[in-house]
Amino acid sequence: MELADKTVGFLLSVISLSIFTYYTFWVVILPFVDGDHFIHKYFLPQEYAILIPVFAGVTLLSLISAFIGYVMLKSKKKKKRA
Amino acid sequence: MKHILKILGLLAALSAVWAGLLETSLIPYNYVWLLPIYLIVSLGCYGLLMVGVGLMVFPTCPQEATLLQKDILEAKDFLMRKGIDVGAA
Repeated sequence: MELADKTVGFLLSVISLSIFTYYTFWVVILPFVDGDHFIHKYFLPQEYAILIPVFAGVTLLSLISAFIGYVMLKSKKKKKRA
Repeated sequence: MKHILKILGLLAALSAVWAGLLETSLIPYNYVWLLPIYLIVSLGCYGLLMVGVGLMVFPTCPQEATLLQKDILEAKDFLMRKGIDVGAA
């Protein structure tokens, strides 16, 4: 149990750090690199740096709202039965 | 209260610098959303990192657990001798 928690924590840290490094490199450093440099092959065009986070945020918000609505509906039903 | 003022000031300064950069058209206009989105992404990464670190260094004390179990047994024994039913022995 303890080891599983530690592994999950380590994985979360690694994921967040790698996302942050990749995104920082993509957004902050890449505009200063020449357009025909080979490193541009490893990154999507700059528009996607805005589109992907917005899309992910909207998806996350909708999922959270759906979950909250589901929980509220369920608790209401339980209250009626009692 | 002071901390939030500091954060708000920092955000205001950042947005002012960003607006200035956009107004002097040092940065193309289709990059307007890059800074806010970048800030949100960094905040999310920071939160995820804090949760991960908190999980990794979460303190556990196994010797305290064994002491607590010993205490529970002792209390059950004591109560049973006094004639109080506390469930399974």
